[in-house]
Amino acid sequence: MRALEKVKYRSVPVRDLFLEMKNLSELMIDLAYSAALFNDRELAEEVMELENRVDTLDYLLEMTIMIAARDAHDAEALAGVSAAASAADKISDAAADIAAIVTQNIGVHPIVSQVFEKVEERLMQAKVSAGSSIVGKRVGELDLAARMGVDIIAVRRDKDWIINPENTEQIRGGDVLIARGVQSGIREFKELAEQKPRRRED
Amino acid sequence: MAQQDQARFEEIVERLVELKDTSELMIDLAYSSLLLNNRELAEEVQRLEERVDKLHTDFELLVLKSEFKKEEAKGFLGLIRLGVATEKIADAAAQISEVVLRGIEPHPVLQLSIREAEETVAYVPVTKDSQLVDKTLAEARIPEETGMWILAIRRGNKYIRPKPDSRIEVGDVLIASGYADGVESLKKLSAR
Repeated sequence: MRALEKVKYRSVPVRDLFLEMKNLSELMIDLAYSAALFNDRELAEEVMELENRVDTLDYLLEMTIMIAARDAHDAEALAGVSAAASAADKISDAAADIAAIVTQNIGVHPIVSQVFEKVEERLMQAKVSAGSSIVGKRVGELDLAARMGVDIIAVRRDKDWIINPENTEQIRGGDVLIARGVQSGIREFKELAEQKPRRRED
Repeated sequence: MAQQDQARFEEIVERLVELKDTSELMIDLAYSSLLLNNRELAEEVQRLEERVDKLHTDFELLVLKSEFKKEEAKGFLGLIRLGVATEKIADAAAQISEVVLRGIEPHPVLQLSIREAEETVAYVPVTKDSQLVDKTLAEARIPEETGMWILAIRRGNKYIRPKPDSRIEVGDVLIASGYADGVESLKKLSAR
């Protein structure tokens, strides 16, 4: 059983909390489908990680709402915010259910992956190695879209998530990058980020 | 043999893609309806919810009716679970749209920046003389040309979640968000 952390109140604007829940829940859906359809355990584990984070955000948001309500009018308006946040949490739960298909070794039929391969772009996770040539580069400098048809859609830096990173965002060793693109492109990109020695063709 | 298998799965995958795309579209529209406080979008979400319920039932029946071998049971269970989770996502989208439909004024804590608050949602039909006809969204460059962001494409009674390779057809209704001046430019693009 995973350890559950006690969520301590800290003052964060509700708007920021809600927008982060929204962005993470949207990212999770993409990650989860890609994990299930291509049987990608690394992606599935990112989804589980994100689900924890959304849970924490939901707690914080509920606490903030309780403190913000001063009268009946506040309560009426805030109930809507609370309902929307709980829906975002539900989305993240559903994404975790999808990821669980992979982590519980159920898997979808392999032919489904084959068919999807043709119609859908897929996502991939890559952990930037300290020695990679992309360390210290800005996302824009890499020119990934033109070079290999790949987009970086999110960066995980320790516990923080940067969704749709700006072109000026600098990549650090240890960053976990989530990239979207065609099969060959993301494979090339993963090698670049993890800087594995090129396989010899013999 | 492998090809026969492939054919068997094509319909299942086709249905799954439709189910997945529709629920993802609902999420996009639901969050937009909330942040723009827009009733029309929220109503679209409700209509799509009914559609997803039907798609989900059809999908489950299709999976259950396919003759799978004993050793394939797990792979089929995975598909069923994928369908259930997708339906759950659609339900959550509907829950978000209900907040808007109840007509609750968004609380100031959710107040958007002034820029976002001025955005509107427009429904723009594409006529036969439009330069957009037969172009993909990537080719049409609508955000660059008009500042409008395409949320969805309505085609007859179907909704399409915009992807770069989605092709625009005569009679499509573009559902887009942005500023008032962008709406005018989008209307021009869609008319000639």
